[in-house]
Amino acid sequence: MKLVWVLFKKELMESARNFKWLWVPIVFIVLGLTEPLTAYYLPDILNSVGDLPEGAVIEIPPPSAGEVFMSTISQFNMIGVLVIVLGFMGIISGERKSGTAAMVLVKPVSYNAYILSKWGGSLLLIWVSYILGMLSSWYYINLLFENIPASTFFQTLFIFGMWLTFIMTMLLFFSSLVKASGIAAFATITVSIILSFLSSSLPEKLKWSPSRLSSYVVEIVNGEGWSGDITAAMMVAGVLCLLLLLLTPFLFKNKELS
Amino acid sequence: MNVLEVTSLEKKYKEKHAVKGVTFDLKKGNCTALIGPNGAGKTTTLNMLAGLITPTSGRFNTLENTRDIRSIIGYLPQYPSFFEWMTGMEYLTFSGEITGLSRKESKRRSEELINLVNLSEGENRRISHYSGGMKQRLGIAQSLIHQPELVILDEPVSALDPFGRREVLDLLNDLKEQTTILFSTHILNDAEQVCDDVLFLYNGELIEQGPLNDIKKRHHTSSLKLSFDDNASRYREVLREIPWIKQVKEKGESLIIEVEELKRDRMRLFTLISEGGWPVTKFESREQSLEDLFMKVMR
Repeated sequence: MKLVWVLFKKELMESARNFKWLWVPIVFIVLGLTEPLTAYYLPDILNSVGDLPEGAVIEIPPPSAGEVFMSTISQFNMIGVLVIVLGFMGIISGERKSGTAAMVLVKPVSYNAYILSKWGGSLLLIWVSYILGMLSSWYYINLLFENIPASTFFQTLFIFGMWLTFIMTMLLFFSSLVKASGIAAFATITVSIILSFLSSSLPEKLKWSPSRLSSYVVEIVNGEGWSGDITAAMMVAGVLCLLLLLLTPFLFKNKELS
Repeated sequence: MNVLEVTSLEKKYKEKHAVKGVTFDLKKGNCTALIGPNGAGKTTTLNMLAGLITPTSGRFNTLENTRDIRSIIGYLPQYPSFFEWMTGMEYLTFSGEITGLSRKESKRRSEELINLVNLSEGENRRISHYSGGMKQRLGIAQSLIHQPELVILDEPVSALDPFGRREVLDLLNDLKEQTTILFSTHILNDAEQVCDDVLFLYNGELIEQGPLNDIKKRHHTSSLKLSFDDNASRYREVLREIPWIKQVKEKGESLIIEVEELKRDRMRLFTLISEGGWPVTKFESREQSLEDLFMKVMR
């Protein structure tokens, strides 16, 4: 356990020194801000830049708080996921390629500890950035639109956070299997797209699929409340993360490090 | 006492049989050089010992029954790569901590090693600003951090300039007192300077092994070198006729003469020279260098 802590601290120090602790939170905060701000100021923006003929009247119905919140989530689901995948695709493959993984693993270091510290280090950064992004979005929605109740906010935060956790765990898994980081990124994105596609074409059969999590967020935001399907999908996502976490060191151990 | 006993270690790749049944022992406190040309399988062998790649077959036994062979081995790869964003001191402390030392202990040990490898002026600089020689010394320091029973160094001097080479070789000479060393090289001169035992690896096979002196004796040839003013080839013909001379080679204006027994035949040659009044400018008996030996053994 002490070993995990030492390696975990190294991960945090590394992401601080290469400024990941700066830019990842900034990206999420900016993503969180832009949706409520652009939605609110859209009419003004159109008025000032749009070359509208004299007397033209454009009525844009102001979106509801829920709609703005949902579009923030979908930003996180696109750009946020992309940032995570691109930012962490080399988390193991990069170290393996450069040879630093060999330098660490030639010491009596357990593979479990190595993988677990990477998982912990990356997820801490992701969750902190994600929470900051969500909070800034929530703040401006409450300021510029109607209030979103705290329970809705936290349930959404929790459900969508699980999806991000699942993506990161999958990325870690693929990154440990290949030497080229790009392949890890490609595999993660492909699998998540396939999962989303499957669960949207077979919504009844795949209620428990982790890829449904982002669509369950809609139910929460619309005030439909927490359903059994959400619990099932959360459980499945959690169990899959756990399985991947157990499988990763096992497969990684059989890889040749040089 | 053997720190490590390796028995018929094999590594097969799809397209190459890299290591073919290598068997050897490493005696405690000895310095052993693994010598062989590029592509002989040196790095593959060392990587298997360090646990970085899995052998196709074969096994190794350690002195005590160690659960994890990595805890008794310190390893420096051929091209060590560090977390370049760390300082030298941070890297050593980190290396110590992941081998199970406490933070305090690891700090103390790191300071010790920094002095040993002469890195004091760079200890608080980022490794990305280090020179090749400094990185190599840091690499050696990190391999020693947990006071391993066996230190494995893969080509520790090949990439260094003459000064760096000298430094690292001196360092190895000091280390010999404290621990067992196995290092690979293709520069024979280096091996000759520090090691007691040698392993000759060629095409994945160990073709010769043992104490350096024994091997030298085993492949000993007695040869003498005669330099002439001119006309060396004329004397070559004369020497060829003599039964106790095994071989005569001409090299410029000198002759290299292989004899049966150095002491006796040296006297005989002196007699020949003085009786015939040969225009000899230089007479030397040649000691066989490891390089000659290597060439001979490889053939």
